[in-house]
Amino acid sequence: MNVSQDKTGSLLDHLIAKAREGDRRAYREFLAEAAIVVRKQLARKIGGDGELEDIVQDVLIACHEKHHTLDPGRPVGPWLRAIAGYKLIDHWRKRGRSPIVLDDTADLPVAADDLASVDIAALLGELPEAQAEAIRMTHIEGLTSQEASERVGIGLSAMKLRVHRGMNRLKEIVEESKT
Amino acid sequence: MNKNTDDLIAALADNGAQAQGRGVGKFVLPLIGVAALCSIALGLVLDDAFSPYAETGPAPLLVKWGFSVSLAVLAPLTLWLLGRPGRDSGWMLIALAVPFAAVSAMFVVDLAMSEQAFPGKAWQTCLTAMTVLSPLAFAGAVIAVRHLAPTNLRRAGLVAGLFGGGVAMTAYAPFCPGSGMAYMVVFYCLPILSMAAIGFLTGPRLLRW
Repeated sequence: MNVSQDKTGSLLDHLIAKAREGDRRAYREFLAEAAIVVRKQLARKIGGDGELEDIVQDVLIACHEKHHTLDPGRPVGPWLRAIAGYKLIDHWRKRGRSPIVLDDTADLPVAADDLASVDIAALLGELPEAQAEAIRMTHIEGLTSQEASERVGIGLSAMKLRVHRGMNRLKEIVEESKT
Repeated sequence: MNKNTDDLIAALADNGAQAQGRGVGKFVLPLIGVAALCSIALGLVLDDAFSPYAETGPAPLLVKWGFSVSLAVLAPLTLWLLGRPGRDSGWMLIALAVPFAAVSAMFVVDLAMSEQAFPGKAWQTCLTAMTVLSPLAFAGAVIAVRHLAPTNLRRAGLVAGLFGGGVAMTAYAPFCPGSGMAYMVVFYCLPILSMAAIGFLTGPRLLRW
């Protein structure tokens, strides 16, 4: 462990101890510091900023809900890193371990001109219903990925993944029809 | 920092992080509950507990209980560690292997010396009891572990399976007329390992949080 990690660990230990005594301000600082640590830990393993932030938020919620599993007096660092590692793997498991970047900008791999002369309804009929529905909501109704995910009741990353896969499939269909 | 993350931190911080105990009760109660349930269920269904040992003396029962109680005690301790992120549980897994090593050694000696008939009588009852009770006790272990935060779900599932089998064997042993290490290996150890394998396979689904 280097000096910087050591200092951060001590700060986290101190803040959680204060938080457990009822100091909400210390708890807020603890969560903010934990977010920084987790973001650093996962940044190299996650492609998109949006996706990274989803996991950081998952980790913070997990830390909050499971804080009773951190024994008093034990260092926060290993506990936090283990939860972050678990949530990362869980995230990969949910979306499949593909290297694609799930940023909003990745949702549109098909040029608008390519679709200009195509019957969109028929095209969407070629896709699995979940992907077609995701594209209808985000690219026809104009919902954001967040709004669409809330409407369907799935996670934001899962919604982005559906849109991404659906758009990739649409692109393939359009290219096949050209040849 | 991302705006949504800021909002989330503010919302979580409002709830506070005051210590609400270490959750021992929520972990232990399901384990004790299923152990009691298994014992009561067997007491209602089967008669004459301990009568199989009237002739042989307590030694066979002590061997069975020595093995099963070890699992029923060591498995929850291991689960407790597995449910606490960042804690090392490797040495507890080694400890869990010790009862199996002891039974294996006794089995080898027994093979060379024993002339007992195998499988003997009532093995179907034994197998039925293990098949019915192990999943029940396993379910209790799953409920207990879900209160914690296991980060290695396969390993936690496997240990929950060992607990299920250990509790089932502990509850049934007083009614079991079977004796000999071959009997124990085939009708107790194998069902317990099967339950552990099921736990290993289903852990990622059952224990996800």
